[in-house]
Amino acid sequence: MDFTLSDEQNQMQESVRDYLESEGGIELARRQMDGEDVVDEVWDGLAEMDYPALSVPLEYGGLGDDLLYLSLLFEEAGRVALPGPLPETLGFTVPLLAELGTDEQKEQFLPAIADGDLRASVALYDDATESLPGAIRMEAEPTDDGYRLDGTKTLVPYAESVDRVVVPARTRQDTGYDGITLFFVDPAAAEAEQLDTLDKTRPLYELTFDAVEVSGARLGPVDGGGDALKRAIDRLNVSMCAMLVGGADEAVDRSVEYGKQREQFDKPIGQFQAVKHRIADMWLDTEAARSLTYYAAWAIANDEDDARQAVSRATWYCTERCGELFEDDIFNHGATGYTWDHDGHIFLKQAKTWANLLGSPTEHRRRIADIRL
Amino acid sequence: MNFDYTDEQEAFRREIREWYEENLPDGWIEGDRDLPDDEDEREQFLREWQRKLHEGGWAAIHWPEEYGGRDASLMQQLIYQQEKARVNPPPERSEIGVDLVGPAIEGFGTEEQKERFLPKILNGEELWCIGYSEPDVGSDLASLQCKAVDEGDQFRINGQKIWTTHAHKADWCYMFTRTDDSGPKHHGITALIVDMDQEGVTNERIRQITDEREFNQVYFDDATTPKENVLNEVDEGWEVAMRQLSFERISLSQSLDLERRFDELVEFCKNETRGGTPLVEDPHIREKLAEFDTRIQAAKLTYFRNVSKQMNGDLGAEASFGKLYDSEVAADLHRFRVKLGGPKAALWGDDSPNGAAKDSLANISIRIGGGTSDIQRNIIGERVLGLPKGDQE
Repeated sequence: MDFTLSDEQNQMQESVRDYLESEGGIELARRQMDGEDVVDEVWDGLAEMDYPALSVPLEYGGLGDDLLYLSLLFEEAGRVALPGPLPETLGFTVPLLAELGTDEQKEQFLPAIADGDLRASVALYDDATESLPGAIRMEAEPTDDGYRLDGTKTLVPYAESVDRVVVPARTRQDTGYDGITLFFVDPAAAEAEQLDTLDKTRPLYELTFDAVEVSGARLGPVDGGGDALKRAIDRLNVSMCAMLVGGADEAVDRSVEYGKQREQFDKPIGQFQAVKHRIADMWLDTEAARSLTYYAAWAIANDEDDARQAVSRATWYCTERCGELFEDDIFNHGATGYTWDHDGHIFLKQAKTWANLLGSPTEHRRRIADIRL
Repeated sequence: MNFDYTDEQEAFRREIREWYEENLPDGWIEGDRDLPDDEDEREQFLREWQRKLHEGGWAAIHWPEEYGGRDASLMQQLIYQQEKARVNPPPERSEIGVDLVGPAIEGFGTEEQKERFLPKILNGEELWCIGYSEPDVGSDLASLQCKAVDEGDQFRINGQKIWTTHAHKADWCYMFTRTDDSGPKHHGITALIVDMDQEGVTNERIRQITDEREFNQVYFDDATTPKENVLNEVDEGWEVAMRQLSFERISLSQSLDLERRFDELVEFCKNETRGGTPLVEDPHIREKLAEFDTRIQAAKLTYFRNVSKQMNGDLGAEASFGKLYDSEVAADLHRFRVKLGGPKAALWGDDSPNGAAKDSLANISIRIGGGTSDIQRNIIGERVLGLPKGDQE
């Protein structure tokens, strides 16, 4: 039993951190928030460092690393709230392609992803008020040489900055994970409309498919893509958890720095126990969130029996507890923390967004209960 | 990163498991874990258990072989903790001696002291208590006032200690005294070993909120102890109080016990009904159970992370995670267990549903003893995170 990172993993994490800092750190997120599209710039840099190749299998020109290793990258990305479909491409799409893709599809897409030439996202929701998998409603109708997609997907991350989108659709009437077929389509075939979002570092879109005919786009079996989708969503959850853990670690650091430097009543405020104890509690939750996330990533990578439980544990804990922790960080900074210029709200908004995007904390707790009880 | 155990480690686990299954008191594994109500009978029961542990070689596996331990590696200690958590054995009568006194004697004692005291700690023949706190001295140990005066060949001790666990039955007290108050308060403290069986030492038991009487006030009125019972140098006791324990001991965690507690709670919720419906079918209760499941796993996994760091030789102040986090989870878990008891939660003793009320009360002492939760937060803030120290230090 050894629940520590290897030297190599530690070094990789440090080099990602140094690299992202050298690229401007959280300034990238700031520029994205202010309306600039920095995804190309971010991605070119990541590609130069070979990071998009991390989870791509070796035979397709990647580095073949598992979800745990990838989580370390996400953790550092989360520390600076890095814009770009990193979790969607590396955490979600790559393993899904590797699992379900035909040789031809894998040849076509995986090396391109590894080289940084292809980015991907996922279009899950047809109804933003419904939870998964019931929110997957779009119907795909067979045509002579493919399928016809008709309907509007919503809450699609980075739809205008990616080359492909995973689109689950119904090929058989059902509301669960049965009867789902996955398609890997070019979003240019659909009409994209950007939504006004809480988290402005990660744009969301409505994607309207107006009887779009696709051929060769089916990913995996007809009617039978739900199972793989479910596991891909688990991996996406862990990827987001890892980003939140990085953000939480950063929030603790920021609160500590401010606690040392800001003085009131002739003392650094970090000397007051009200502040000190709040930061100590933030640290506790960060460490707990990190343990749960690493374990979930490891459990998925090693196909452990308790992987699904582990994912739900990490997901509700990271989204709910880290969300509260980001509020505490803002609070520690007083009125300054409440300003747009202070970075605290960037992380908070991300946590609030993710807390509901892939299963609410309550849904994840229910899932744990259903497995455990 | 891996969560596997080697064949050798699994063999060690089996050895522990088999020993406990063979030697635990009758009915214990099946869940009959009641200790005798009568105090003398209970003492006899615990003494017998300690004797068995010692004979089996399990009284202090982390101690060196020359003092009766097994020189157990950290991994073996972890496996031992896991197996103990699984069967929830009776309390160890010599725990204070094994965990706190023995290591101090080993680290600071003379050869004579080691030979005289260590073997009898291990076999349970002699019981120890520790004199830290005083009526006006809690978290701020360095301000202690209990006086010891140098009389050439002995020290004469006057003063009072409080919250002294097991003083009423202890043979020896390992205590901290003031021998010089002219300098800074950390200086002039002396660690002494004092015979409890003498006229100058009296004690008064303290009734706790659990209705138990394990704590004591201890009065020293012209009590004496010979010079050879000083640990470390005179006036240099602070070093003894502050040092890391000398036997390489795995950090401990409540989380392994909490895991078992949780399993027991799930069983309770499956068997207990309200209005004909098992508690476990109530959506609110299900969600709360899932919440505890997660928090306990977070506690355990972080414990594993810290233990792994310890095995790699680089565990720092982050070890302070466990006491605070675990005891908060435990506090919430026990409160929840009380609530689940229904109206019957008004009852006490054998009629208390699930025994939850007493656990809930007892956990408060875990949050106060050994550095309160507030002190733990200070430690994390200052030693882990580097926040400025408060005025009090």
